[in-house]
Amino acid sequence: MISVRGVVKTFGTVRALDGLDLEVRPGEVHGFLGPNGAGKSTTIRSLLGLLRIDGGTAELFGLDPWRDTVKIHRRLAYVPGDVALWPNLSGGETIDMLVRMRGGHRDAFRRRELLERFSLDPTKKGRAYSKGNRQKVALVAAFATDSELLILDEPTSGLDPLMEEVFDECITEHTARGTTVLLSSHILGEVERLADRVTIIRDGRTIESGALQDLRHLHRSKVRAEVSASPPDLSAIPGVYDVVVDAHRISCSVDPEGLPPVLEALTRAGVLSLTSAPPSLEELFLDAYRSSPGDAAVGARPS
Amino acid sequence: MSTVVGAGLLVRHGLRRDRVLAGVWLVVLLLTCYASAAATAGLYPTEKEQVAAAEAIDASPALVALYGPILDVHSLGELAMTKLTVNYAVLVAILSLVLVRRHTRVEEEGGQLELVGGTAVGRDAVLAAAVAEAITVSFALGVLAGVTNILAGLPVMGSVAFGASWAGVGLVAGALTAVACQLSASARTCAAIAAAGLGVLFGLRAVGDTAVSWLSWFSPFGWSTQLRSYGDTRWWVLLLYPALGAGLLAVAQALRGRRDLGSGLLPARSGPADGSPRLSNAIALSVRVHTPMLGTWTVAMAAMGLVLGAIAPQVGDLVDSPSARRLMERLGGVGALQDTLIAAELSVVAVVVSCFALVVVAHGAADESDGRTEQVLATATSRSVSLLATVFVAVVGATWLLLVTGVAMTVGFGAAGGASGRPVVASALAQAPAVWLMAGLATVCFSLRSGWTVVAWGLLVAFVTLGQVGELLQLPARVLDVSPYTHVPAMPVDDFSWPPELALVAVAAVLLAGAWARYRNRDIT
Repeated sequence: MISVRGVVKTFGTVRALDGLDLEVRPGEVHGFLGPNGAGKSTTIRSLLGLLRIDGGTAELFGLDPWRDTVKIHRRLAYVPGDVALWPNLSGGETIDMLVRMRGGHRDAFRRRELLERFSLDPTKKGRAYSKGNRQKVALVAAFATDSELLILDEPTSGLDPLMEEVFDECITEHTARGTTVLLSSHILGEVERLADRVTIIRDGRTIESGALQDLRHLHRSKVRAEVSASPPDLSAIPGVYDVVVDAHRISCSVDPEGLPPVLEALTRAGVLSLTSAPPSLEELFLDAYRSSPGDAAVGARPS
Repeated sequence: MSTVVGAGLLVRHGLRRDRVLAGVWLVVLLLTCYASAAATAGLYPTEKEQVAAAEAIDASPALVALYGPILDVHSLGELAMTKLTVNYAVLVAILSLVLVRRHTRVEEEGGQLELVGGTAVGRDAVLAAAVAEAITVSFALGVLAGVTNILAGLPVMGSVAFGASWAGVGLVAGALTAVACQLSASARTCAAIAAAGLGVLFGLRAVGDTAVSWLSWFSPFGWSTQLRSYGDTRWWVLLLYPALGAGLLAVAQALRGRRDLGSGLLPARSGPADGSPRLSNAIALSVRVHTPMLGTWTVAMAAMGLVLGAIAPQVGDLVDSPSARRLMERLGGVGALQDTLIAAELSVVAVVVSCFALVVVAHGAADESDGRTEQVLATATSRSVSLLATVFVAVVGATWLLLVTGVAMTVGFGAAGGASGRPVVASALAQAPAVWLMAGLATVCFSLRSGWTVVAWGLLVAFVTLGQVGELLQLPARVLDVSPYTHVPAMPVDDFSWPPELALVAVAAVLLAGAWARYRNRDIT
């Protein structure tokens, strides 16, 4: 669906994208994560043919986003991170216009339903909408189209939690129909809920990419335990980090390969209670971008 | 006082942001001052010739309507400043309008004021700072204009009074804009209201100076004449500007207190819930977005055309002055004089209509920087169509405005008793190729980089300045020929001629083609 390999984009002397890879498979929701300035929007704008890439290859539907722009755009809908509306056009006019400009047909029933679900008043002029409502206008226009691909750049940054729920439902409905979604986001919970696979980028490079489960395997768990005897010295075990001992309580981070010896040691010390939590996406994310790009290997060690 | 905390900082910030805009504006006006002041003595070496020239102007209601009367025909200063006292003071007023509006309503609509409002800045600081900046710039302009005239050899006290009158007009216009910017939530509507206000003040004076004399006292433009800068100066008139300015500011402040941030006093109208099926491509969008503005411009140009047309037949009235009669005979009779005036008016119309084209292209640039273009280009809209949408409205809209002005001038000319049979509409349309070329230049700037569109304004100002100052300073023809406006046949004085028109069209076409080639290949940022 989307295939980006080694893409380079420079603005003057700044390398905004520096060999970025991104692979989105048909029918999946792909989370696209990175800190501010990582190059998420630049990637998306290159995919939309707004920016011309300086190196590497990018394809959507097997087509070149720079040359076959219009052909590609008939098949996708895009919601920018910061939606700007036309000050003297009403929200309803904007929605219908965007749908028609994508070559889609206006589905009055679905449109009304979406307006209700997002509780959006379509008669206001563009200048009168708040940030959240501007975003709703763009979202309704995107969800009202039967696109094969939705490209969403931080689409919920202005929405309240209630509306985020509606957003999740809409995504689920569209994927049920076979729509592919590229979802760039800061809201990790959202990606965790919706995404099948994620790509994490930093400084214009892909740090890691894969199914959420696979990524979890590659990362350490947070282990907390209480023991009856004196706590064992876990820090000597390979793959164990951040050991904190407080009387009989002990906590540490453990790589998957370090878990068996840790459990053994804890058992020997007479374990009374034990919790082990998988890393949240938050931690994956922080792990991935706390490290410098130089040691951006999978499962990078925190400094 | 706490409500204006931070105003000083905002004024400094504003002056910094506006330094190029205000700087260029000031330089152009000051150059015009110098050229007019320095050249007039040479044009009319004897007092007899000066008086004759002044009487000729006073004898023409057309010129009086445009420039105001010369109250002291023996004053060289008044003669030298004929165009500048009232007519060019409009440019001073527009500068104030632009400055106040961009720091109040434009930023309020854009959301920047919300950011500013969240900082340690008083509630009234933004409005106070915008007005203070406009007053500062107007005051500086007034001082510099006075100094310029003194340096050019005009009497000292008269030049001081003249400079003060410009500063006064700038002050009133800034305060007027402050009121206008409270009325609507739309920055464009606020601009239209403020411009209409200035138009009414100018119109009151024009009617006052030509027919109902007391009306002139209701307009700051009229005060500038009544001040009699270079004659027996009535210094107390200078008190009127700050008095009116203070009154308007009090109104603006009261209105400001009665509305919320982001809203206007005029209720915001809601729009249709559904989009028309015709609104389905970028060109329809551009037409739809610009229709209200084109409507306002159509009304304004029609009104301007009526007035310009109506004053043309009056030029024949100045035959009672012997020198004027001689001048007229040299030009080829009353009819020829009317033709000359119409041709001169049309060259101004061409520049005004070019502004429309430039505004449309500037909107294209704003659409790009705000992110609207990105949304359009993410639909099945090609770069070519997106660019065409802007160029189409700029070119077709400007041509339409020339047609409207030409028709209105014909109507006004006929209603005021002018002989029929003059090709005024054709003469107006003959200006179109120069306007298209200007639109082409603006599009080239835009296609190079959206932020560079502002350069087109600089070019327009340069062309106009060349036209105004070039001949007074006797610049070589090669320099004057840089401006597209010099190549248009001066119809109805001259006959229509294809070669220059076709050359202008060809250059415009090349510019647009180059812009298209570039726009298709650049990043949208």
